[in-house]
Amino acid sequence: MRGEADTRGPVKSPLDFAGGLFLLAIAVLGFGGAFNLPTGTLSGIGSGLLPKTLAVLVGAFGVLLMVQGLLFEGDRLERWHLRGPVFVLGAVLVFALLIRGSTVNFGGVLGIPLLASVKLPGLGLIVAGPLSVIISSFADKDTKLGEIAVFSILMTVLCGLLFKEMLSLPIPFDPAGLIPAPVDDAYVGMKSAIGHALAGFKNLLPR
Amino acid sequence: MDFISSLLGNLALGMSVALSLKNVALCFVGCMIGTLVGVLPGVGPIATITMLLPITFGIDPIGALIMLAGIYYGAQYGGSTTAILVNIPGEATSVVTTLDGHQMAKQGRAGVALGIAAIGSFIAGCVSTVIIAALATPLTSMALLFGPADYFSLMVLGLMFAVVLARGSVAKAVAIILVGILLSTVGTDLESGEERLTFGWTEISDGLDVAVIAMGMFGFAEILRNLEITQARDVVHAAIGNLLPNRKDFKDSAAPIARGTFLGALLGLLPGNGAVLGPFASYTLEKKLAKDPSRFGRGAIEGVAGPESANNAGAQTAFIPLLTLGIPPNAVMALMVGAMTIHGIVPGPQIMTKQPNLFWGMIASMWIGNLMLLVINLPLIGLWVRFLKVPYRLMFPSIILLCCIGIYSVNNSPTDVVMTAGFGLFGYALIKYGFEPAPLLLAFVLGRLMEEKLRQALVISRGSFWTFVDRPLSGGLLALSLVLVIIAILPSIRKGREEVFADAD
Repeated sequence: MRGEADTRGPVKSPLDFAGGLFLLAIAVLGFGGAFNLPTGTLSGIGSGLLPKTLAVLVGAFGVLLMVQGLLFEGDRLERWHLRGPVFVLGAVLVFALLIRGSTVNFGGVLGIPLLASVKLPGLGLIVAGPLSVIISSFADKDTKLGEIAVFSILMTVLCGLLFKEMLSLPIPFDPAGLIPAPVDDAYVGMKSAIGHALAGFKNLLPR
Repeated sequence: MDFISSLLGNLALGMSVALSLKNVALCFVGCMIGTLVGVLPGVGPIATITMLLPITFGIDPIGALIMLAGIYYGAQYGGSTTAILVNIPGEATSVVTTLDGHQMAKQGRAGVALGIAAIGSFIAGCVSTVIIAALATPLTSMALLFGPADYFSLMVLGLMFAVVLARGSVAKAVAIILVGILLSTVGTDLESGEERLTFGWTEISDGLDVAVIAMGMFGFAEILRNLEITQARDVVHAAIGNLLPNRKDFKDSAAPIARGTFLGALLGLLPGNGAVLGPFASYTLEKKLAKDPSRFGRGAIEGVAGPESANNAGAQTAFIPLLTLGIPPNAVMALMVGAMTIHGIVPGPQIMTKQPNLFWGMIASMWIGNLMLLVINLPLIGLWVRFLKVPYRLMFPSIILLCCIGIYSVNNSPTDVVMTAGFGLFGYALIKYGFEPAPLLLAFVLGRLMEEKLRQALVISRGSFWTFVDRPLSGGLLALSLVLVIIAILPSIRKGREEVFADAD
């Protein structure tokens, strides 16, 4: 698609033409996914009727847009940037893979045989958090590495306190036990001290 | 009189629910978060509500919905702050406010602009709360007359409105809605149990999650888009000045606030995100009515008061179709359907009869929320200005982390996080090819309901499509949809549409 941003050729509106192509691809995928499903009759609609009809309509609009792109002057395609999607979505994937540990299969869907399988350890938010913040920050060229490193740890601790402690969501924080024992002990001690203090405060309140 | 007394009784019930300490606190939290995301450009209510869905799991449904609603209308308040001070709309609905609001700020009247925006929004919020309460009962009883065919046609009408209101090409808007409905068919078919469009992938046999799509397309794709535009932040450095408008300001704004409230409330009722139209319509109307239209764009207070009232009124009346008919009118409300479903509530006319506490509690909380927002926005304005100074290079990685945690926590599933990344890329492609993503989300949520009603209607009519035309209600709605399509295609209207949205760019 990148080439189309620079050259027009016979296509008068690359934006519409590419948009139409995109719709056509969705339509083909949708029709293929519903290919074996029965359409049924009007009084008893089968599971395939709606997906197939919709796919055909989406495809028709795709063709319409492509024709429009060939006939009428229109906008150029906006350039696709690689930096943003790679780092932002890469950071999200890293988070997904490390948060609970997962087995990544290469192949095994769409009829492709299983080629390889990699097992990743569950490292929890303590690793996935800073990593995803740091990786995603590379999407912006203004990023300062030192600043973002400190910030990523700060954000992770804040998120841990908010989601794990206050809201008790079942998100793994440190399943691999990476936090050194003294730090952990100090935290547990502090927490119980705060708990006692709060309980004491509650007793002071009139009932 | 019977109507009034039952209305007052219902509102009293709602107040008793909404005024419990816990619900007031949740309403406050929702309004605070809403103001924050409203103030910050690039973070919208859709992504925020998705991010915070898991937080509401531990709360009862009433409290959860009160908080989520607070985020939505709170964002409308906050959006105006950014529009006035930075000349960037914090939310899509505050685009018009940048025109005169920022000019007022440059003239050293930032405080007055913020003040009149908040006061106008408050008045609009109060009035539309009463409108919701008054319309709820009659609309709910009307909803009971709706058969499956009528429901289907009503949803078609809603989607057609979304087409008319979407910017850019009509063909693209229709196509994106079809794609949204197509996505809604992914997963196991409820009637036959057959897997559709899953390609043998078991993770999606329950269907795609609305949270996954919303977060991908409005969280991640939005960030990708923002990273590519370098916006010059034209922050007003002058003192904000006096927040209270003077007597003349009040005199100038009173009528625009009243007209804006009325217009916004009316347009908010429309299916297909009529609420976005409110501020534009109000601005145009005020400019037409003004004795000296040339003042507009140069800091006319009417140009802030009217549109700000309209956007808040519209944001609230948008709840009416959701609460009474069970049909979400815009993408945020579509997400509220998802939130309700997670909490085991089926949106629709039965909410009011079966769960009056929830229904009236939520409505009453909106009034309380509006009062809170007045306090949150005016005296705390300095706090929000400080948030505006957080650079985007720190903000977007934080948003990504919060999104990841949020989407993981919905089902405790890393696969959901991966799929969200996929939809992020999909959303990015849509933006690059000139499609607007919001109608897709609405169509996705309406899609399942539409298929269900279509099937029911055809079973009842024994397979005759005429049922959609023969029934007066359904036929009328379809005819109206047809008129809308024709209007959208007509060149003269298209030109007008482009003019309206040209201001938005």
